Amino acid sequence: TTSPGPFPFPREYFFPPFFTRQTNLTTHHAQLTKWSALVLSYCRHHRIFKLPLSPASTTTGTSTTADKPISATPGEDLFYSPKINRRLSLVDTREVINFLKKDGRAEYVAGGDKEGDVVWIYWRTPEEWATLVEGWVEETGQKGSVLTLYELTEGEGTRGTEFHGMDSELLQKALSVLVKRGKAQIFGQEDSQGVKFF
Amino acid sequence: MSSRKGVGLAAFDRSRLNSAQYASHGSTLRSTNAQALETQLSVFRSLLQQFATTHAKDIRSNPTFRAQFARMCAAIGVDPLASSNTSSGGGNSVWAQLLGRSVNDFYFELAVRVVEVCGETRGENGGLIEVRKVREGLMRGRMEGGGEITEDDILRAVGTLKPLGSAYSIVRVGSKPYIRSVPKELNMDQSAVLEAVQVLGYVSVSMLMANLRWARARAQTALEDLVGEGMLWVDKQSEEWEYWSPGFMMES
Repeated sequence: TTSPGPFPFPREYFFPPFFTRQTNLTTHHAQLTKWSALVLSYCRHHRIFKLPLSPASTTTGTSTTADKPISATPGEDLFYSPKINRRLSLVDTREVINFLKKDGRAEYVAGGDKEGDVVWIYWRTPEEWATLVEGWVEETGQKGSVLTLYELTEGEGTRGTEFHGMDSELLQKALSVLVKRGKAQIFGQEDSQGVKFF
Repeated sequence: MSSRKGVGLAAFDRSRLNSAQYASHGSTLRSTNAQALETQLSVFRSLLQQFATTHAKDIRSNPTFRAQFARMCAAIGVDPLASSNTSSGGGNSVWAQLLGRSVNDFYFELAVRVVEVCGETRGENGGLIEVRKVREGLMRGRMEGGGEITEDDILRAVGTLKPLGSAYSIVRVGSKPYIRSVPKELNMDQSAVLEAVQVLGYVSVSMLMANLRWARARAQTALEDLVGEGMLWVDKQSEEWEYWSPGFMMES
């Protein structure tokens, strides 16, 4: 898969106070709005569907002058800005996630209210994915055909589409929406699940 | 009998007759001239209208031409920004209508965009924004061939907003002009802090104490005031808390 290239960070990413929770209510709201937009565009750029909130390779408390590898794991440099050495705390990060949740753009992976460490970032919601797939079915005249989930995400036939290579769990969510819309039917078990489009 | 020129009373009478003739001739002349004048004026008017329309593009795209045009209008006593539906008599309203249209449109549109930028950024800057940043923001969002906008243009555009009351005004912090779109006025200490922030983009309590020779409490109060107004952001991950101007986020 081709790498999308480096993400063009906005100015606020290099603004030290951006990583401190602002006390002024209005300022804080502007801050949350900017963070939300940043998280969404960053994840869209890297095609990150599930975002870890505290990356595995946590840096130590003391600042080091060690160079970070150029190909850092996507997600690592979102809440930490190496050039200015500022990090958004986990507590403040959760606040951003909750802000996104209100807009339906985020969901904790464990489900329910339990706040784990991995989050669905819906830079495209399951509903939006559903509409995309529906459109593709129309365009390619696939109504009435049956496909496996694997074919949809990994098959040659879907190469070049937006949903090729997408997280299969998220695709399932999207297909469930299509089922509700009466546009599809899912059958089969686990590994050999298939979908028929109407 | 003979109406030929003569002297004496007869001549006097004749001169009176001539005067009357001259008078009537004069008034004929005047009315003829007035007619000619009006024809001339209407020709002039339409030429002027053509000029304004032809050069509308130049007025929009060339700030030097625009400034010169504005100066020319001022020199002949015409306010190009005057409302075109003014009922003031004389040539003024007519001229304003002919010449002012394109200039009017330009500044009106600019004022609208300035108001938009102020509205969009009020959350992050508390309603105080440097004119330079507004200009940069507008130039960045401009379409190809849109022409240059100067800080002078922005100041004029904000001037046209005066009828909206004190909602939009130009304030100076140090030597730099800012647009203030909230009623809150800055006191001396707050202005001094904002001026100090201009130097590095941020200040700390220690920096204010050292450079302005203020007591700690005074520095803290001014900074907290400004944070309270949403005009400064605070960074708590530095050794000493640092207070930043939000303008940094608008830089290109």
